[in-house]
Amino acid sequence: MILDAPGTTVLLMGNEAIVRGALEAGIRIAASYPGTPASEIGNTFSEVAKEMGIHFEWSTNEKVAFEVVYGASMCNQRGMVSMKHVGLNVALDIMEMAALRGVKGGLVFVSADDPSQHSSGQEQDQRWLAKQNCVPALEPSDPQDAKDFTVYAYELSEKYQLPVMLRTVTRVSHMRSNVKLGKFQKLDRDAKFDFKQFSYVVAGFDKLFYGREKEANEKIAKIKVEFDSSPLNKLVMTGEERVGVIATGQTYNYVMDALIKLGVKNKVAVLKLGTSNPLPEGLISMLLKGVDKVLVTEEPDPFVELHVKALAKDINPRVELYGRMNGKLPGEGELMPLMVDGVIAEMLGEKIPPYPRADVEKEAKDMIFGRMLTVCAGCPHRPSIYALKRAVKAVKGDIHKVIINGDIGCYGLAWAPPMSYEDTYFCMGASLGVSQGMSQVGVDSIAWIGDGTFFHAAIPALMNAVQTKTNIKVVVADNGVTAMTGFQPNPQSGKMATGESTKSVSIEAIAKAVGVEHVEVTDAYDTKATETAFKRMLKTEGVAMVISRRVCATEAIRRMRPKRPVPYEVDESKCVGCKLCLSTFGCPGLSFDEEKKKASIDPTICMGCGVCAQVCNVSCIHGRDE
Amino acid sequence: MKTTRVVIAGVGGQGTLLATRLIAETAIKQGLNVRIGETYGMAQRGGPVMGHIQIGKVYSPQIRPGEADALLGFELAEATRRGVTFLKEGGLAIVNSKKIPPVEVISGMRKYPEEKELISLLHEVTSRVAVIDATSLAEKAGDPIATNMVMLGALAASDVLPFGEKEITAMMKESIPARFLELNTKAFKLGSEALKEENIFMKNQ
Repeated sequence: MILDAPGTTVLLMGNEAIVRGALEAGIRIAASYPGTPASEIGNTFSEVAKEMGIHFEWSTNEKVAFEVVYGASMCNQRGMVSMKHVGLNVALDIMEMAALRGVKGGLVFVSADDPSQHSSGQEQDQRWLAKQNCVPALEPSDPQDAKDFTVYAYELSEKYQLPVMLRTVTRVSHMRSNVKLGKFQKLDRDAKFDFKQFSYVVAGFDKLFYGREKEANEKIAKIKVEFDSSPLNKLVMTGEERVGVIATGQTYNYVMDALIKLGVKNKVAVLKLGTSNPLPEGLISMLLKGVDKVLVTEEPDPFVELHVKALAKDINPRVELYGRMNGKLPGEGELMPLMVDGVIAEMLGEKIPPYPRADVEKEAKDMIFGRMLTVCAGCPHRPSIYALKRAVKAVKGDIHKVIINGDIGCYGLAWAPPMSYEDTYFCMGASLGVSQGMSQVGVDSIAWIGDGTFFHAAIPALMNAVQTKTNIKVVVADNGVTAMTGFQPNPQSGKMATGESTKSVSIEAIAKAVGVEHVEVTDAYDTKATETAFKRMLKTEGVAMVISRRVCATEAIRRMRPKRPVPYEVDESKCVGCKLCLSTFGCPGLSFDEEKKKASIDPTICMGCGVCAQVCNVSCIHGRDE
Repeated sequence: MKTTRVVIAGVGGQGTLLATRLIAETAIKQGLNVRIGETYGMAQRGGPVMGHIQIGKVYSPQIRPGEADALLGFELAEATRRGVTFLKEGGLAIVNSKKIPPVEVISGMRKYPEEKELISLLHEVTSRVAVIDATSLAEKAGDPIATNMVMLGALAASDVLPFGEKEITAMMKESIPARFLELNTKAFKLGSEALKEENIFMKNQ
């Protein structure tokens, strides 16, 4: 990653290549909030920031991250913000302002979109936000592009004084491939706030404040022309082809493989599209004029296609457009190689053989479980959910008398069997807000939120509950790290992104400071104590909170490596085969031996937390060293 | 040059990624082009994971169904799930007999299929199926965590990759921290021996 050897080829993941590009462009600062598929960008910065002499932070949320980097940009320093697609929703306010007020030092932000929602609640296509806010959007097709486009993005950003969106999809972020390294630029710029560009006092309020949309539109118009001759867009066309493809970002790979597979490379003109906003209308027009049929491939929305359709009306209304809008490709989700093979073959009037594996695939699908997601062996959230369910049953008589509003993180898997105890989750911090609405109309609920998410977006909602005297119950499932995305530190972890120690921000102190009177902390591994704390919370009037705390088991084991925890085991002479541990707790380390009719524990999976021993009614589970 | 395509299937936490990376880094060392696509879900551990490795002139990070030269299955059911889709006819399947029951099985909603049922489905797409007890071999090497190196050793002993055991072990020395190297090398060797015992599977039929 920090190898100063231009021309060398190394293996990089798309996300790592973006970091490399930013380092080659001489950035001074980077900030991020973790979220799949963007997380490895920040993870990589964490590892190299000190050595490269740059600041990197895991900010409290994406808006803060963007603001931090924008602050440095106004002082003529290059910086990078990265986040998953929905993180941009959080940062949108400042992103729009940065586009209107302009940037000084190059500002590139990564929106790592997730078509087909591999690890997201939605597959929002953030290119619309680029369009809406006059921000150029670049779409790399592979790790080499990811690095090269990033370097270029800084030049573009400074030339037009606009933030630039580097838009990836999961398949690019997580693709690993050969990347040829470039030079590290040494910028050595003084950090100076540009008063003329940004100060109301110096530049004048009216000049800074009004009419900036017009200026942004003019910038985009100029960039549009520049993109026609940009190396990010490549049109390969002889004039003999009757069929053309506009292959956007990562889908270029499927198109090229399809042409090779079908043996039709010389029959199809291809525009490799690397700039999706603004579109290179000159190049697209050339293609539209030269062929009879044009396919647009992109993910997940027909963003380019819609604009191509509008352009075609003026340029060549007779051209037949193929893509997601005419139903030849699905209207949502990722594309797949076979889909692209099929539509190109159809456009050329070629037949491809039917898929031969449908029967055996169906047999396999019927035979094999889906492997539902669940929290890990030893996860402290499992006993927290277990205890919560028991407490609600004891206090309310029925577990469904209370709506469980979950939030974003590992604990969001509380809905999964066998616990199956979570009704909703939406977006970062929403559990506290929606619970208040339910409470206001007389429906009981519990906000079930993790520590990282609490800091990210829940504190305003908590204050709201106190101010409006809303009777809500809050459980903070506190495992000390932002676990789901790879154990990044958050404000209470006591350390910074680069590993340096810092102050730890206390959740209970925040809760008390904003006026929550009932705040308890319990050890999630002590199911009895936790259950009792939940019962007290449920019986308390007004805003009440329990913080169920225990460090993430996977993180705990990372810290103790190379030592391993001592696993628990089942005393077969005592086990009565009741399956209580499996049906009510269901840790992945447990299984049932159908021949012996006894529970058993897989020592390679067991994390040694011992909670299953508390769940067992006949005390047949014990630690190996006991 | 011929393109080599390998699908790696397993469960989160099994170390499939390190095996994938070692293959890719060895390929780059040999001056070859490599492209890897990975699919994993939200959970840190326990979810299905899949890696597609392609060496040669390719664009897509995803192997088309029916085009993989080999399947490296770290977990029994995951091996069958991916094998029936991605293996080419007559491709090589190297399958760890280890079962990692998912929550559906643990909580009693589903049964874990019998090994012979799962393997017979794989036989519908290829006759070259080698089942090895990689997790036990890793335990024998010192730690079940080295299952990934047993599987890698088995693949290296086959004729699938455009390079052999020597090149991969050289790369292991470069990229695995010294304190873990002995365990990993031992596991790699046990995997290689296990596949060689199944020598009928080594040559492309």
